[in-house]
Amino acid sequence: MRVTQSMLSSNMLRNLSNSYGKMSTLQDQINTGKKITRPSQDPVIATKGIGYRTDLSKVEQYQRNLGEVNNWLDSSDDALDHVGQAVIRLQELVTDAANGSKTSDDREKIKVEITQIRKQIQDLGNTKVGDKYIFSGTNTLTPLHDGTKFSDSLISTGLEKEVKMEVYDGVEINVNTTGIKLFSEIDAMLGKIETSLGDGSEGTVIGGYLSEISNMQNNVLEKRADIGARQNRVEMMENRLASQEIIATKRMSENEDIDYEKTITEMITQESIHTAALSIGSKIIQATLVDFIR
Amino acid sequence: MGSTFMGLETARRGLTTQQSALYTTGHNISNANTVGYSRQRVNMEATLGYPGTGLNAPKIPGHLGTGVQAQSVQRIRDQFVDRQYRQETSKLGYWETRSNAVSQMEDILSEPSDFGLNTSLDQFWGSLQDLSASPGNASTRKVAIQKGIAVAESFNYISKQLTEIQGNLKNEILVSTTDVNSILKQIAAINEEIQAIEPNGYLPNDLYDVRDVLLDELSSYFPVEVTYEKSGGNALAIAEGSMNISIKVKGDPVNVVIGKDFATLTANTGDKKPITDAEEYQPFTSFTVTGSVNGKVDNNEIIYKDLEANKGQIHSLIDSYGYGEPTDKTGFYPDMLKNLDELAREFAKAFNDVHKTGTDLDGKQGIEFFVSKDQNNIEISASNIAVDIQFETNSSLVAASNSQFAIDANGVPIKEEGNGANALLLANIKSKPLFATGTPPSGGLNGATIQTYYQSMIGQMGVLGEQATRLAMNSATIQLTVANNRASVSSVSLDEEMTNMITFQQAYNANARMITVVDETLDKIINGMGRVGL
Repeated sequence: MRVTQSMLSSNMLRNLSNSYGKMSTLQDQINTGKKITRPSQDPVIATKGIGYRTDLSKVEQYQRNLGEVNNWLDSSDDALDHVGQAVIRLQELVTDAANGSKTSDDREKIKVEITQIRKQIQDLGNTKVGDKYIFSGTNTLTPLHDGTKFSDSLISTGLEKEVKMEVYDGVEINVNTTGIKLFSEIDAMLGKIETSLGDGSEGTVIGGYLSEISNMQNNVLEKRADIGARQNRVEMMENRLASQEIIATKRMSENEDIDYEKTITEMITQESIHTAALSIGSKIIQATLVDFIR
Repeated sequence: MGSTFMGLETARRGLTTQQSALYTTGHNISNANTVGYSRQRVNMEATLGYPGTGLNAPKIPGHLGTGVQAQSVQRIRDQFVDRQYRQETSKLGYWETRSNAVSQMEDILSEPSDFGLNTSLDQFWGSLQDLSASPGNASTRKVAIQKGIAVAESFNYISKQLTEIQGNLKNEILVSTTDVNSILKQIAAINEEIQAIEPNGYLPNDLYDVRDVLLDELSSYFPVEVTYEKSGGNALAIAEGSMNISIKVKGDPVNVVIGKDFATLTANTGDKKPITDAEEYQPFTSFTVTGSVNGKVDNNEIIYKDLEANKGQIHSLIDSYGYGEPTDKTGFYPDMLKNLDELAREFAKAFNDVHKTGTDLDGKQGIEFFVSKDQNNIEISASNIAVDIQFETNSSLVAASNSQFAIDANGVPIKEEGNGANALLLANIKSKPLFATGTPPSGGLNGATIQTYYQSMIGQMGVLGEQATRLAMNSATIQLTVANNRASVSSVSLDEEMTNMITFQQAYNANARMITVVDETLDKIINGMGRVGL
């Protein structure tokens, strides 16, 4: 084949531009850390990448939801713990007051403390997480006890409803503990005890409340056990999400991230090829017969 | 018996012929870097021997040579390689333009990235999850609304940018058509000149070259077919004649240049109305080919489906811009815009449907969340999707609760501000397959979720882009090989020209020497003879 200068120089130009093209791709890869910068470079990686990004953001969102879930459960548990302690104190006081040797004066003193306990229970019913009343069902902006009376579930229809949060695809966890029944019952009982202590009832009448008090204690424990069980579930979910996050991140990285060692090596190889191409180019263009004839 | 001065004449012929060869070498060297130039060669032939035939021809022993003459100056060219080159140029034109169109689209959609439509959708779903966790909180409501606005704006932005590029593509179609028309006119003009020169027995090599360059350019726009028509008169057998060009289509090719006559192409939209600069979408339907009045080129029409597939820039531009009926929206960009509109519409519909079943912070029934901001067109599309303006001022309108709508004794709706169940349903639209509904079934995304539908849009674009890039690379490689073959035949080699220069120079010198020799022999006869004793 007949070979001419213009063929050599156009070939060289094309090879150089190819070499620049490869270097530019490698540079993009090193700069961004990604194998591709546009879908046409590898449609499979691109579409998978979109999916993995969503997976990851989903896992992160569920983790955020879990934070909120813990917040609710821990606060509920803590509040009910205090209720439990109050009920124990109540038991002590009532047992003490039921003593036949107590004078009405003594009982009046005990009544003062019980009034305080009643107040405390009402306050605990209004426990808030952020700006939400956690024992008010879905009526989170309505306090359970407004200072004079308990909310009416005929007006606030959400009082008995569950507040649910999603912690995984399709997995919802009930985060609240409906408090209206529990708190109003305890409150009503405390009211009765107060009255009995004030109207000079016999010790046996007062002692009669003890069984009701231990029922209440059981109710509180039952609620706390339920919360504890849910906390366990949440903890398991937390572990699962943590490993999901690692898996999703890893899958995404395997899909689209470059192997730096490999890419940098390729870049260096490409650079040396390019230098060689340039130096060869200068030789090709150099000499023709013109240089050798006088 | 020959003439006394015959030797002088023979040597003189040698001198002029070698000289013209030397000058042609000079011409070649001068044009070593001219685009499209083909090297030229002087075809030398020996002149007729002496004596000629005839009854009264002198009787001498042998048939004496009388020297050389330059029979013609010919360009060295291989028309088969040219043809191959043009075919590849057409393909390259198509795929390169396509790959360009795809890469512009990729720039706008910018996927995969942390700021594309997918990301803004993800953030929106996330904000709804947050809303379901704290539905009573004004700030989570505001965040959800703002993320919704961001999604709508992403749709708006992508749609607007794609439409703008589509507009540029249309301009490119118009400019390319003008360019094609100018090339056709120039080729016809060159044909006319060639028709004037060839009958005189000359080869207008440099005009051939210019014409071939124009034809190369033309073949990047359209696949063309070329035939030649001999000029009359005293034209040489190797003269190329005038060039007739036709555009290859399915069926009979359409003539666009016949000799000095040429046609003008006009790109049309529906009802054969020419495509204009106006902004609206004017899908391509056909080219009108108008021949000059009283010329040999007939009027004709090339409709879209007659264009040869995957050849020529103009076809590629049309494929990207759109063709057929305006309502069909066929073509690469119209398809993408159509899918995007569908996605926006179905997304808005699915979202609104769920939103309307919920109740807001005040216990009132949910209203439409996404609306069309275009008063003239209430059907939601990617270009007009927006969050209802009321939400920006009143965040309590977001229907996060799934409580039943009911009013109490005072006529005030019963509210459940801590109920986020509907927000959760809204967030889960993300993974809900959307099927067509109603009779006859309409809408839906064929059972795809919003995410997978978008993913497949990006995938499809990527595949097309990958194909275009690969085929453009292939065509470029083949074209380069063919171009090398062509250069191997036609391009000027300086080494070769230098060698030729020495050859012709030496031949010239030798001829000059010959003249000296003849001169010396004549000198002997004229000045040295008959002077015996002097």
